[in-house]
Amino acid sequence: MFVDTVIEDKALHKPVFLLYLSLTVLAIFFAFNFTNTIFGEFLSPVIGNPKESGFFGRLAVSFVLTILFVGNLLLISFARLKIQILIVWIELFFLFLAFAYSFDLEISYIFKNDFICSTESAREKLCIPSKIGLMISKGLFTTIYISAVSIAIATAIAIVGAIAKLSNNGFAYAIASFYTSLFRGLPLLLQIYLIYMGLPQLGFMIDAIPSGIAALSLCYGAYMTEIFRAGIQSIPKGQWEASRALGFKFGLILRKIILPQSIPIIVPPTGNQFIAMLKDSSLVSVLGIWEIMFLAKKLGAKDYNHLEMLLTAAMIYWTLTIILEMIQARIERKYQQKT
Amino acid sequence: MSIKLGFKKSSIVFAVALLSIGMTAKAGVVYDYIKNNNELMIATDANWAPFSYINDAGEMEGFDVDVGREIAKRMGVEARFITPDWGVITAGNWNMRWDVSVGSMTPTAGRSEVLNFPAVYYYTPASFAVHTDSTVTTLAGLNGKNICTTAASTWEMYLEGSLDMLDAPAFTYKVTPGTITSLADGHTCLDDTRLGAGVRNDGIIDSVPMIQGAIEDGYPIKFLGDPAFFEPLSVATDKGNDDPELDAEIARVIAEMQKDYTLTTLSMKWFKNADGSSNDYTVAY
Repeated sequence: MFVDTVIEDKALHKPVFLLYLSLTVLAIFFAFNFTNTIFGEFLSPVIGNPKESGFFGRLAVSFVLTILFVGNLLLISFARLKIQILIVWIELFFLFLAFAYSFDLEISYIFKNDFICSTESAREKLCIPSKIGLMISKGLFTTIYISAVSIAIATAIAIVGAIAKLSNNGFAYAIASFYTSLFRGLPLLLQIYLIYMGLPQLGFMIDAIPSGIAALSLCYGAYMTEIFRAGIQSIPKGQWEASRALGFKFGLILRKIILPQSIPIIVPPTGNQFIAMLKDSSLVSVLGIWEIMFLAKKLGAKDYNHLEMLLTAAMIYWTLTIILEMIQARIERKYQQKT
Repeated sequence: MSIKLGFKKSSIVFAVALLSIGMTAKAGVVYDYIKNNNELMIATDANWAPFSYINDAGEMEGFDVDVGREIAKRMGVEARFITPDWGVITAGNWNMRWDVSVGSMTPTAGRSEVLNFPAVYYYTPASFAVHTDSTVTTLAGLNGKNICTTAASTWEMYLEGSLDMLDAPAFTYKVTPGTITSLADGHTCLDDTRLGAGVRNDGIIDSVPMIQGAIEDGYPIKFLGDPAFFEPLSVATDKGNDDPELDAEIARVIAEMQKDYTLTTLSMKWFKNADGSSNDYTVAY
């Protein structure tokens, strides 16, 4: 919410606005012609056969849809703010479900299991109930594992990079700025290929997972270097002057005065980077790492049910991101109280 | 099975790389490594049922996987599978990340610059297919049309008229497409075709078992004409770590598997027609 002091009347409660809104919505519904959809069938007692209803049918369907839409908005506008937000969220979510449902997919495929759990080979191993089970037990674990290791390494890189970028040492600055420029300037997918296929040419053989982690760490390390640099720079000059006046040495000032104060500024954007990395980790699927995206593509290919598995992956990523965003919000609140 | 933190081979490869500065790789390095390690590392793309795919237990399964297991068994070592992207396998320079590719790769002149092809183990027919509503009835009808296929595949080379297969049965170019739509994942072509004839493409070219599988899965597509060409499919090894001993061993094992009809049995097991009959793809027609 804006922290403005004047709160105006709700636009929806002004008749003129309501009229214009209704006309616009009517025009849009009319333009897109919903006559041949499920709405036309609902209205068939009034307009007859939807296909032969012509202009009148089209107008009638658009009119009913407009009434429903604007009525819905009006009803919601009378609720309290929190309830408004909740209802709109639920409605949008159902619209998304309807969108996915309209693909005419075999949703049960996600939960289907061709694998018979009583066979000999299965008994020794964990018997996984379905495709979604496999994606969570194997894919989700790998995704989180890769992202967590990468963000830890990226943080370490970022601290060193930021200090180097702020230093007066020409070599340190040049190396750090070259690094951030290079890794922020290349697409992540390209970096993954470069590390996986390029490094072995030099004699450094690294396998798929270490390559993926290296690429993610280096790429996000470069972005986070800038975040850390900005965080450190935002500490007022007076802090340095005061510390120097007290006779502190450089290392001590950085560790005890500057970094602790910049952490509240650094942590929220770092959380955002983690969420972004979690999604970008899907790119390492090209190396054959069995994470969510890889399993979604390959499991779907087997029976030609690609969209089902891709939607499953979408829901897993989304759920994961929502959870992480909630944690992120908590952390942000905590640091806001402190400062 | 397939995921493993791997610094395991790195020390050896690093040593090999140091040794090979100024001299070519010593013959037998890879073979000795496989034997000492008692493990044959097999690369195969997991995107292709019924050749190789991931089953619901999270294990590799399919014709190529069975052939790979059998090769390892006859070499007296364990089989382990790794599933990199197809493009990463065909690019060569494996640096001993894996030892062989048992992934239905067609030997071509281009690929043979970076890979060795010690033994062809079967042949698959490639065929054109169109939407069931398509008005095209002959292969000639596809001339000048928009054909979709997998990027960097032999099918794409066929469409471009640049198919340089080695040891292949004779074939002719029967279609001259107007536009070639090459997608990284050939399955997307099938999904595009499903949208209708001429919507995103007018037809596709793919291997017959793949199209067969899609039809059985309810895709509204049909075969068009006879198979366009037969492609030999081979085991591949890395030219960068050239190892004649390994190549000879692979050739010996495949010849043995042809002789005792193991390959035929596996082909009959995995390549079934809609009417339940089986296909023996180990001989080219």
